[in-house]
Amino acid sequence: MRVFLVACLAIIVICIGGYFVLNTVQQPTGMAYATEGARISPHWAWRSVLSASGANESATKTATDQECHRRKTWQWIFVDFGRPEGESKICTDSQ
Amino acid sequence: MAKLRARIRLVVSAMAILVLTVVAGPLSAEQPTSVDPTADAVNEQQLLQQLHRIQGLGTIPDSKSYVIEQPMGREWRRFHEVWLHWIGAVAVLGMLALLVIFYLARGMVRIQSGRSGINIVRFSALERFVHWMTATCFIILALSGLNITFGKSVLLPVMGPSAFSAWSLAAKYAHNFLSFPFVLGVILIFFMWLGGNIPNKVDVAWFKRGGGIIGHDQPPAYRFNGGQKGVYWIVVVGGTAVAISGYLLMFPFYGTTIAGMQLAQVVHGVVAVLFIAAMLAHVYIGTIGMEGAFEAMGKGTVDLKWAEEHHSLWLAEEKARIGPGALQQQPSATAAE
Repeated sequence: MRVFLVACLAIIVICIGGYFVLNTVQQPTGMAYATEGARISPHWAWRSVLSASGANESATKTATDQECHRRKTWQWIFVDFGRPEGESKICTDSQ
Repeated sequence: MAKLRARIRLVVSAMAILVLTVVAGPLSAEQPTSVDPTADAVNEQQLLQQLHRIQGLGTIPDSKSYVIEQPMGREWRRFHEVWLHWIGAVAVLGMLALLVIFYLARGMVRIQSGRSGINIVRFSALERFVHWMTATCFIILALSGLNITFGKSVLLPVMGPSAFSAWSLAAKYAHNFLSFPFVLGVILIFFMWLGGNIPNKVDVAWFKRGGGIIGHDQPPAYRFNGGQKGVYWIVVVGGTAVAISGYLLMFPFYGTTIAGMQLAQVVHGVVAVLFIAAMLAHVYIGTIGMEGAFEAMGKGTVDLKWAEEHHSLWLAEEKARIGPGALQQQPSATAAE
């Protein structure tokens, strides 16, 4: 009986270990199914703008205080929602 | 003179028109009377016959979406909607029916000479740990796997959509995550018991004499008899097959195409139901089928008389190794019923 219980414990430990390992290996579908060729940044989603309005309001407020890069014309033409290096995430979310 | 020239020009022009009419006439007759601008350049059926799929080119990263039609998909759907149900039902229910009939006909295989009260160690704690880890995972994997194939037709009408969805979701997560300890267990079993599971002439004789199960003969066997070696190789080969095919399904399209995924599902389904059927027989022999067998994995020890009747060659080896004096009288165990 003791051996069986230890085996059950080991199963739980290995399952939890497997969960964390997979979490580090796997990517969200937005990233996994997008490539560099896809112009829309996998980080960006309309729902980040539309959902959680409360959180978004505060994010927008904060964004006004921060330095956000103005998008170039070609970026608007080619619908580049990517975030320039160093720019806060809030700038992208608030667009 | 000028008049003559004009007449010659008229005649030549008339002849030229006549020749053109005669030559162009048959050509225009060859043209179709009605043109279908939407007609395919290549017949769809022709493409399917030659390429076994209709495929084009695309611009999105997912190249699987370029395949428009593939007849193998219909065969695969037919397999997992119809054939797998039949294979599974015949294998699992057939084995259960056989075991019930066998039990009613043969009953429990008893220790013919009675218990001696002296126990001998058969499996170490590590061996039992690996066995139970693998076995526990297998039972949950089997039940959750059977739910994938049969749940919709068997459980859904009983449980209702909400409960069935919740159960199936939990079962699928369990199926995925329990694969890790199960595969580890199969690997450990392979290395741990490989030495004792190489088939030899003793096994042939053991099978010829009914293995002590059919009839009342007691053929000699080393630590693992022919039947147990069969179970070992079913676990190793079957476990490897379900593990490889299962991980291909769990991580879809990593090195596999649509055809590869379909093949993985076919292999996984068929091997799994046969595996379950084989393990039902193993569980039967290890519990209600044979007196004293469960103790080997339950407590790690077996009665000396049990060992004499079922594994006489192994017992002789053990006595030679530890010395007959090391075997001590212990409280007699009860039958695993």
